Amino acid sequence: MSLVDQARSVTGSRRLPPLLVFGALGGILLVYFALPFAVFLGRTGSVPIAETLSETASRTAIRNSLLTAPVATAIATILGVPLAYVLARETFPGKRLVEALIVLPLVVPPVVGGAMLLSVVGRFTPIGAAAASAGVPLTDSLVGVILAQTFVAAPFVVITARAGFGAVDERLEQASRSLGYGPIATFRRVSLPLASRAIVAGVVLTFARAIGEFGATMMIAYNPRTMPTRIWVDFIAGGIDAIVPLALALLAITLVVVAAVQRLAGVPTVVDR
Amino acid sequence: MTLELDELTHRYGSERALDDVTLALDDGELVALLGPSGCGKTTIVQAIAGHVEPTAGRVSLRGTDVTGAPPEDRNVGIVFQRSTLYPHMTVGENVAYGLKSGDLTADLVSERVDRYLELVELADRRDASPTALSGGESRRVELARALAPEPDVLLLDEPLSALDTGLRTRLRDEIVRIQQQIGVTTLFVTHDQEDAMSVADRIVVLREGAIVAAGEPRILYESPPNCFVASFLGRSNELSATIDDRDPSTMTVGGSELTLDEAELVDNPSNPLADASYAIVHVRPSDLTIRPVRRPTDTSSDADTPSDRPDASIDLRLSGDRLKTIEMQGTVAHVRDVGHRYDVCVGLDSRETVTVERNRDGVNEADRVTVTAAVSDLTVFPVSE
Repeated sequence: MSLVDQARSVTGSRRLPPLLVFGALGGILLVYFALPFAVFLGRTGSVPIAETLSETASRTAIRNSLLTAPVATAIATILGVPLAYVLARETFPGKRLVEALIVLPLVVPPVVGGAMLLSVVGRFTPIGAAAASAGVPLTDSLVGVILAQTFVAAPFVVITARAGFGAVDERLEQASRSLGYGPIATFRRVSLPLASRAIVAGVVLTFARAIGEFGATMMIAYNPRTMPTRIWVDFIAGGIDAIVPLALALLAITLVVVAAVQRLAGVPTVVDR
Repeated sequence: MTLELDELTHRYGSERALDDVTLALDDGELVALLGPSGCGKTTIVQAIAGHVEPTAGRVSLRGTDVTGAPPEDRNVGIVFQRSTLYPHMTVGENVAYGLKSGDLTADLVSERVDRYLELVELADRRDASPTALSGGESRRVELARALAPEPDVLLLDEPLSALDTGLRTRLRDEIVRIQQQIGVTTLFVTHDQEDAMSVADRIVVLREGAIVAAGEPRILYESPPNCFVASFLGRSNELSATIDDRDPSTMTVGGSELTLDEAELVDNPSNPLADASYAIVHVRPSDLTIRPVRRPTDTSSDADTPSDRPDASIDLRLSGDRLKTIEMQGTVAHVRDVGHRYDVCVGLDSRETVTVERNRDGVNEADRVTVTAAVSDLTVFPVSE
């Protein structure tokens, strides 16, 4: 063994303790994540899952969630991705304010966000009244659920997509322009494909947040019930065991959608990007 | 004129990046835009390509004013310092990219992709991913992609700066070959004077956003129009000189006095030396020769200087009336062995320092030496008061 190798092995063994400390700290958090999850799942044996899920109330809740969350995600994506691109590329006066505005729904507690929304679209506000008289009630309706989900979940796709566009070297777009493509064609052929991993990650996060949305939904549309509001109702009535079936169903739907979207877009992991 | 810049000025906020740049490129010409980093080279490229709208001035391509036109309407090919190949497309698709924006048929596109990949000698990599290419290959694919739409002007923005020396030299030759083969008007932007000297028909030197010199590389190198060019284009020693206008006028440089009737000294007819009392003299390290002073009786270094002066214009090895020389006395400060030559740094008795390039060893630190320069190799810039 040469002197250099010896020196390396010495520093190598010296480097272990700090990593051990890091690992131990992280481990506590991991246990804290895993333990409730495992114990909760442990209750499944004592609950009639299939029967509960086939009840009308549960099926309606599942249907409502499956109708609303994808729509909210689509709205957030269609409006959020262009915004993300503008924020990644342009500087303009008031940009910081816009950025603060995007984080606002994340900072405000969902219940409060719901109350704020209610003050704009509530039944007795001008907007709410006009919409209701046009036959599209904005509260206590699926539209209301979508409004709540979009408000709370949209920041995820904006923030993630913005980071994705930011990571695309602007020179690649300039090269495309010089090769004869206008700004829109360049966005579609270069920026969008290159940021697609980040955008997909953002879409997945947004969907997961939307389908699990409770606080704002409860304020705007306690009825019709979505899975989270149904879970709340079941919990009040029957405690933890009563919500196990719907909670599992929610988890399963979310996992299936995340896996499917990633599969379709060819993205190996959400967290890495 | 293929490309014309007319009094181009650009400010970033209050900072002036370009100042009244006027420049024209002839059809098929390869011009190097040379300057230190931050001198505005890239701003010029961006203004020509249309990615930056200049604060004032005009950009014309083939006689048409394009100053306000978007990049996609300009027909300018561009290669940046860092790779801009699209990783989600194959090499062939990258080269085809600029062709598909036009109205070529698929067959014509495919045929052109083959032709340009052959031009850069990468026809066999057509289906490869850009991420699988080496640094040199990816540069060549980019060149092919920029050239395939047959642009009016090719802009190369520091295309070699990210490469190591050997590859850099090879690719430089390749660029010259390709440029000559297809005859595209090219602006080659670089901070490297060797790149500029070796590729260009003409060099334009930029400093702090303004053009300070333009001309053929050899002429700029041998008779630089100002101090900046003298020291930026190749290595140079700078010495200060005093001019005495007694009759006959003399100039003292590096402790050596010179009678000012030499025709070759007045390189700069527009700046007659007679009006100045100071001047800056530039001389290339390769134009200096060095020989040890052998004087066993003298130990004090101060005693050498004055007694050496009278025979300053006589040089034994350069005998012949045509070449006058100056001789400067000094002490070797250090010798650097840089492989293909030695750089000898000499502290002159005039308290200035010069570097001398030398092919052989044989001088050592602290040696007393005489540094000799032919008067014709001096470039004199009078300092006006």
